[in-house]
Amino acid sequence: MPIRKLPDAPPSVHILGPTVFLVALGVGMGESYMWPRLVLLFGPEIRWLFLIGVTLQAVVMLEMARYAMATGESIFSGAARVFKPLMWFFFIVAIAVYIWPGHLSAGAAAFEEITGIPWVVTAVIGLILVGVVFSLAKVIYNVLENVLSLLIGALVLGTAVVAAMVGSWGDVANTITGMFAIGYLPPEAMSAAWFPVIVGACAFAGPSGMQQMWYTLHLRDSGAGMGAHMPKVRGLRHAGEQEAMPSRGFMFDTEDPAEMAKWKGWRRWVTFDALLLFWGITMLVTISFTVIAQAAARQNPGVREVIQGDDREVALTAMADAVSSAGSSVLGTVFLGFIALIGLNATLGLFDSFSRGQADMTYNFVPGAKKLRMSHLYAGFLWGVIIFGILILLFGPADGPSGILDTLAFLSTFAMGAYCVTLLLVNNRMLPKPIRPKWWTNVIIGFGAVFYLGMLFYSLFAFGVVVG
Amino acid sequence: MDGRHSIELALPGASIGAVAGAMAGGLTLFAGVPTGLATLSALALAVPLAVFGGLYGVLLGHGVFRPGTFGPAGLYWMAAFPLSRLLQESVAGIGMADGVFGFLAYQAMVALGFAIGFVWMHERLMPHWLLRRAGANPRAEALLGLYVQYAQALRARKGAKR
Repeated sequence: MPIRKLPDAPPSVHILGPTVFLVALGVGMGESYMWPRLVLLFGPEIRWLFLIGVTLQAVVMLEMARYAMATGESIFSGAARVFKPLMWFFFIVAIAVYIWPGHLSAGAAAFEEITGIPWVVTAVIGLILVGVVFSLAKVIYNVLENVLSLLIGALVLGTAVVAAMVGSWGDVANTITGMFAIGYLPPEAMSAAWFPVIVGACAFAGPSGMQQMWYTLHLRDSGAGMGAHMPKVRGLRHAGEQEAMPSRGFMFDTEDPAEMAKWKGWRRWVTFDALLLFWGITMLVTISFTVIAQAAARQNPGVREVIQGDDREVALTAMADAVSSAGSSVLGTVFLGFIALIGLNATLGLFDSFSRGQADMTYNFVPGAKKLRMSHLYAGFLWGVIIFGILILLFGPADGPSGILDTLAFLSTFAMGAYCVTLLLVNNRMLPKPIRPKWWTNVIIGFGAVFYLGMLFYSLFAFGVVVG
Repeated sequence: MDGRHSIELALPGASIGAVAGAMAGGLTLFAGVPTGLATLSALALAVPLAVFGGLYGVLLGHGVFRPGTFGPAGLYWMAAFPLSRLLQESVAGIGMADGVFGFLAYQAMVALGFAIGFVWMHERLMPHWLLRRAGANPRAEALLGLYVQYAQALRARKGAKR
C-alpha cells in the first residue's frame, strides 16, 4: 500500500464518533425485548451470557477498527486480500439476510398500537422516506449521524427517566448481580425450545450479523485514521461531486515514532468509543428495559405465561400492557414508542450499511464497476432493497418466506463466527508488525469464533434446530 | 453583563433537562392522579433537571467541564439526578419503597445513563447555539473557540489527503 501521513487524532476524547451507527444498530430487539424476556423466564442469572456477548462485541469493534483506521480500507477489502472467496461469502450472506423487511415490522406494529395507522402503510412510507433522504443528502454520513444521534439521545434519556420512575434498587441489583452468575444454565434452557433462542439472543447482544463489518465503512467515511485519505460517499443528487475512489487503501510509516504516537492517539479515541458509548449505552438500555420488565412482572404476574410463547408481537404487546399496569397506560404507550423508535433506528442504519457494504465490494471487486461512481452503486443497492421490501410488504410474507427464515438466522450467527476468523487472519497477516493486535486480543477474538460457531453447531446437532 | 452571558450558555442544557423532566413527569398526569398533583409532579422534575442542565452549560463555559468529555459530567449527574428525583418524590411522589438510601443509590445508578443521553444531546445542540450567540457574547465566543479547535483538527485531516 502507498505510504501517506497518518492524520492527528482528535485533540480530546470526543464523545461523538461513528459508534453512533453501531449503537443505533446494536440497540435493537435483543436489548429491548429478547433479553428482558429471557430474564423474566430464567431469572437475572441468565444475563452472564449477555455480558459475554456485549464484551466480545466491544473487542470485535476495536479489532475491526484496527484494520480500517490503519489502511482506510473496509474489512471486506481486507478479507479479499487474504482470500477473495471469503469476501464473496459475506457479499452473498448480506443479500440473503438483509433484503427482507422483517425488522421493520416490529417497529411499525408498535406504531400501529399507538396510532391505529396500519403497519404496512407506515412501513412502506418509512421505506420510501429513507430512500429519498439518502438520495438527496449531500454527504450521507453527516445526515445519518445527525438523525441517529437525535433519535438515540431521545431513546437513552427516555429509557433512563422511565426506569428511574418505575424501577427500584432491588430490580437493578438483581439485574446486575445476575451478570456474574457465570455458567448458570437452568435445565429448561437446555431444551430444543429454548436453547436456540438463547443462542440467537447471544448473537443479538449488541450488533448482530454483519453490522460490525459495516462499521469499518462508517469509520472510513467519518475520516478516522487513514480513512481521512478516502472520499466520502455522496447522495444520488450530489453524485457528480463525488471524487474517484482510490482502488486501494494507504498505510502510514510504522517505523516513524511520531506516526506511532498519532496511532496510539487514534487507538485511545476508538477505545473510548467502544467502552463508553458502545458497551455503556448497550448495557444501559438493556438494564433499563430489564428493570421495566421486572417491575411490570411484579405488578402483573400473568405476563410471564404470555411471553413464554414465541410470538414476538403478542409478547411485545403483553410487555407493554404489563408496563402500563406498573405505571400508567401512557407508560405502555411510551414503551411501544421506544420499540417504534428502535425499529426506525434499525431501518435507517441497516439500509445505509447494507448499501454501503455491497457498493464497496462491487466497486472494488466487480470488473467494470469502476465506470460507475460509488454514489450510483450505493443508490442502486439502496433503491433495490427498498423496492424489494415494498413488494414483499404488499404482496408477500413480511418476514420473508418462513421456510428460509431459520436458515437466514443461522447465516447471521454463522457470519459472526466467520468474521472473527476473518479478523484474526486480516489483522495478523495484513498489518505491519508494530500495529498488529496483542496476543490476548487474539485469544478473545478466537474465543468469539468458538463461542458463536460452537453454540450454533451445538444447537444444530444436539437439538436439530438452528437459531430462531 | 457577565451574568447574562453566562445564563445564555445555560439555555441548551436547561432545555434538554426541562424536556426530559416534563416528558417523564408528564407520565404521571395520565396515571389517574388529580391534574393539579400531576402537573406539580411534572414541574417538580422538569424544573430541577432544567436548573442542573443549565448549570452544566454555565460550568462548561467557565472551563470546569471540557466539551465532549464524559467522566466529570457523569459524576455531576450522579449527584444532580438523584436530588432532582428526591425533590419530585418529596413534592408529588408515592413514597420510596427502598427507603431514602436505596432510592438515592438506585437513582444515582440510573443517573449515569441519563448523563450519557444528556451529554450526547448537549454536544449536538450547544455548537449551533454558540454559533448564533458568539457575536454578542464573549463567553460563547470563547467556548465556540474550543469547538472550532476540534473542527480545525478535522479539517486538517481532510487537508492531509490533498
